[in-house]
Amino acid sequence: MAIDRGRIVGILGPNGSGKTTLLRLLAGMLKPDAGTVTLEGRSLASIPRAALARSIAVVPQETHLAFDYSVLEIALMGRYPHLGTFQLEGPRDLAVAREALVATGTASLERRRFSTLSGGEKQRVVIASALAQEAEILLLDEPTASLDVGSQFDVSALLARLNRDRGLTIVVATHDLNFAAALCGSLVMLSAGRLIASGPTGETLTSLSIQALYGVVADVYPHRAAGHLTVVPLRRIRRD
Amino acid sequence: MTATEGKGPGVGGWGPGAGRRALGVRGRARTPARGVFAAACLVAVAVLLQLPGGARGPQAPGRVPQRIVSIVPSATEVLFAIGAGPRVAAVGSFERFPPEVERLPRVGALLDPDVERILSLRPDLVVVYASQTDLRAQLGRAGIPVYVYTHGSLADITAGMRDLGARLGLAAQAESAAAAVERDLAAVRASVAGLPRPRALLVIGREPRALRAITVSGGVGFLHDLLDLAGADNAFGDVPRESTMAATEAILARRPDVIIELHYDERATERDADLERLAWKALPGVPAVKNGRVHVLYGGAFVVPGPRVVLTARAFARLLHGVRSGIPSSGTASAPGAGIPDLTPVT
Amino acid sequence: MTDVRRRLAAAVAAFGALAAAAVLAAPLAGSTPIRLDRVFDRSVPFADNVDAQIFFIARLPRALAGALVGASLAAAGVVFQALLRNPLATPFTLGVSAGSALGAMLAITLRLHLSLWGVSAVTAASFAGAVCAVAIVYGMARARHSGFSTNVLLLAGVTLNAFFSALILFVQYVADSAEALRTVRWLMGNLDVAGYRPILAALPLCALSFAAFAWLPRALNLLSLDADAAASRGIDVLRAQRVAFFSASMATGAAVSLGGPIGFIGIIVPHLVRLIVGADHRVTLPASALFGAAFLVGADVAARTVMAPVELPVGIITALVGGPFFLWLLVRAR
Repeated sequence: MAIDRGRIVGILGPNGSGKTTLLRLLAGMLKPDAGTVTLEGRSLASIPRAALARSIAVVPQETHLAFDYSVLEIALMGRYPHLGTFQLEGPRDLAVAREALVATGTASLERRRFSTLSGGEKQRVVIASALAQEAEILLLDEPTASLDVGSQFDVSALLARLNRDRGLTIVVATHDLNFAAALCGSLVMLSAGRLIASGPTGETLTSLSIQALYGVVADVYPHRAAGHLTVVPLRRIRRD
Repeated sequence: MTATEGKGPGVGGWGPGAGRRALGVRGRARTPARGVFAAACLVAVAVLLQLPGGARGPQAPGRVPQRIVSIVPSATEVLFAIGAGPRVAAVGSFERFPPEVERLPRVGALLDPDVERILSLRPDLVVVYASQTDLRAQLGRAGIPVYVYTHGSLADITAGMRDLGARLGLAAQAESAAAAVERDLAAVRASVAGLPRPRALLVIGREPRALRAITVSGGVGFLHDLLDLAGADNAFGDVPRESTMAATEAILARRPDVIIELHYDERATERDADLERLAWKALPGVPAVKNGRVHVLYGGAFVVPGPRVVLTARAFARLLHGVRSGIPSSGTASAPGAGIPDLTPVT
Repeated sequence: MTDVRRRLAAAVAAFGALAAAAVLAAPLAGSTPIRLDRVFDRSVPFADNVDAQIFFIARLPRALAGALVGASLAAAGVVFQALLRNPLATPFTLGVSAGSALGAMLAITLRLHLSLWGVSAVTAASFAGAVCAVAIVYGMARARHSGFSTNVLLLAGVTLNAFFSALILFVQYVADSAEALRTVRWLMGNLDVAGYRPILAALPLCALSFAAFAWLPRALNLLSLDADAAASRGIDVLRAQRVAFFSASMATGAAVSLGGPIGFIGIIVPHLVRLIVGADHRVTLPASALFGAAFLVGADVAARTVMAPVELPVGIITALVGGPFFLWLLVRAR
């Protein structure tokens, strides 16, 4: 499996298919039992952690804070890979963090406590923190899972914009087929830990592949108003 | 499911008796038998409670106790001192004197009295501590008379001897034993009368080899009385308690001239005493430490408020006043109940 | 100057001044009135100068011990709360203190009469007990995972706590009344060290722990979010967790060996400090250490003076302050 620079790739699969595992392998958080994960030719294992963090940023599915950090503090945590062991952040770090907040539309929340934010705001702040890492690759695990439809639109638009304006390579693991259809240029499909399909969205996202993956009969067609493929689930097939 | 499933020794409080367990198992498998067994138990208990004598004590008032259990070490010593030794059937865990107690069964102490064992010995008098309310209640229900031995001051000791003697029908022997104690104590007091009274710190506990958690005798109780009788002023005599934790600061402020430490570990050697004395080097400004007047006494005799307080009084007098006390020295610090420890200065 | 730099400087200056003031003022208070001019009067030889002896032998070591124990417990509290991702965690949650207590109880009850380099058997056994507890808990947390599960750590620690506490009760039961009383007293905490030797014995361990604490704050910020969040920002999660666990446990073990298990410092101080300076561990950790020192020294002064001439165990003061504080925290959070 290869991911080209500047692409938006979606990882699809039912629960337990290994989406999160794949994401963690890509991030270098897990070591593969067989084979290697390489970043521009270099194996991840050979890259020191801090350098890796400057290249790859991860947005986890949920963020639970034990303590009440402010939004700015969380954004600034994205700068840690750029700081020396005992170094404190300087003016440039502050600027990058603030800029990341602006990019995600959360600049006005800077002084707010993270726990007081809505789900959508929290997600965007976490994305800002990942952006502050100034990494070229962004990995997101189920970014829209607990968001309402409005916030989902916000996140989708944000990611598309980041890809367009900054050339970020984005890999998204998701359940949401329509979100994937709207955002991702190509898809990777996993089932029970095996890769069963990959390729451009138009070719991979078909009724057949959805039926094979989820056991659901669905209608897949390009929606004229939306401008991208849309998936309408019809009925469930019992699989043994 | 087999009949023995889930059953192990002692399960359900039946006890380890195999016969009992077999009964229980049978009971589990067949309910009617179990019900009959339970009923039989109830009847048996009811019958036992009604039986005269046997499980209960003697009923007739005025009958002098002949089988005594004592778990209070000072009371045990008193019993032997007034001639009731042959009547003692069992003693507590901590009794060490007189040597006869080593051959007697042990039935627990203040915190862990073995009620079953005490009852099984069928005593007609049990000597207990005042705070052992549960034990007293249990013995009361079993109809066994209880003697509550309390001690506080030095005078309470001889009063207790007389009282116990009266209770046991040994009033004459108790009187002579108590009078002897009083006479010997008075002799010690007389021999040090007129001598200058040093300020003394009486340490009854601390962390071994370190000056932490130092517990001293306060201004109340037989140890304080002994110190006073032996011609010294208790450095913590103003504290209205039997014992108190002494902070380093307080010891420094009160400047004791003599320090006496009491340990009841019987197996200590001279080397142990030296090492304990060494701990006091941390406070070189204290007059007692500066002048080498720190003494360590080992032995049960010194902490039991019984007839042997005379030995303690003599030991104190000797340590406080040296030869001027008129008390001859003999024996070593670690020979329990034997002579008076020698004065050994701290180098 | 960025926010964190400013806050760190302000916090260290303020709490540092508080701690210094506490340590300098504490030796002046106590049940015996002393005069500073007599304390420093060189014309009187030390052996005869009671005021100087009280100041230098009894009170100053006590203040220093209080500062060391307070700083260690407060800092350990911050680290454990971040490691376990739970603001209710204390240095005693994982059983280190129970292990210490068991060691001390055994030394008292078995009447171990030895001392090593001026350190009494009780102190040494107490530290040995702490080491055992740490080893057991760490072993269990690593037993089935190649990683380091904080959930298993927490469960192992709580279970060990319960088990050791039961053993402690058992030891108290079989001890005779004098020893049982001594063990009960030990559990209430005692900073009366009577000299500098016990402090010097604990110092190397505390110094090592604090050196590790200096390295931890950034990692703690990230660990308290999520292990994955930390890993994705370049932290070696396993190493950070190990360093946090061992350094905080060592600091706790040393503190408990020196002064007994003094409770509530490891939870009141971090909470108060967070209320004042925020949750960023780069500020909270040093500030808590300094405030912890001041707090315990102050509590000890209170213990020595409220019911003078009787001295209360310092653990009682911290509990009396800590309990209501905790209730207030809970009520306030609603």
